Amino acid sequence: MRGPLLAAAGGAMGGAGGPLARTIRAKLTAALQPTHLEVRDDSPRHGGPPGAETHFGVLVVSGRFAGLPPLQRHRLVHEALRAELAGPLHALQVIARTPEQWQSDPHLPSAPPCLGGSKREKRREDGGEAPGQQ
Amino acid sequence: MRAAVRTGWRIGAAAAAALRGRAGRPLSQAAGEGGGAEGGGGGGSGSREAVERLVREHPVVVFMKGSPAQPLCGFSNAVVQILRLHGVEDYRAHDVLQDPDLRQGIKDYSNWPTIPQVYLNGEFVGGCDILLQMHQNGDLVEELKKLGIRSALLDAEKDQEKK
Repeated sequence: MRGPLLAAAGGAMGGAGGPLARTIRAKLTAALQPTHLEVRDDSPRHGGPPGAETHFGVLVVSGRFAGLPPLQRHRLVHEALRAELAGPLHALQVIARTPEQWQSDPHLPSAPPCLGGSKREKRREDGGEAPGQQ
Repeated sequence: MRAAVRTGWRIGAAAAAALRGRAGRPLSQAAGEGGGAEGGGGGGSGSREAVERLVREHPVVVFMKGSPAQPLCGFSNAVVQILRLHGVEDYRAHDVLQDPDLRQGIKDYSNWPTIPQVYLNGEFVGGCDILLQMHQNGDLVEELKKLGIRSALLDAEKDQEKK
């Protein structure tokens, strides 16, 4: 995950993000009782209009994940955010660790190889500058 | 520590429902995106039967946005790049942007809300995050081996050992 990560209900971003960010934080907290939670709004990097909340990344550290393979951990996160994923939440990156895993390695994996497929590539034939809206 | 791991299995009912994955709601209840609500019957590219055929047609099947030659989404691109790193170029890729029925149908089939989706030997493995994890911890090499596919990274390691 790139970019600054927003701390959890410790009030990171002076305003704690937009309404969807707050909802995501609240629902994940209620569902998974995380010992550590970071919610990052990636929407600006995906070309939405200002204030759009569509793409998020979450880092969830919770004992609820113990013994579960990654697929099942992610399903728990999705279940907590089912309504949002059926609605405005268009994309969700998930990192799900147990407290033990996070303690032994409190770092995020390096970014995926080549985060391409940007709006620029799509628009190349238009010859235009990367737009703010689609 | 072990006891803590075991109690982790005793999850609540709601979580257990989430883990049932495909056993969840039938396609006919799929909330529509486009005209995709036909599901269930033998028709439609998004029906359970149609999706089942697609995930089984090759050991490696990917549902993505765009194509391997031209991904249209960073997460889909990441999946393509990871497979490429392992030397996996022969696989089935389906562009869900070309088919709204399939786009909804694949989400219902796997009970997974996002694209891309990776299937190995007909089984849903996860999206971009999980594939990346598998790539980084060595699991992907193992899973490919089970499919009779030798990861290119093994050869890369061998070359290094020879030096």
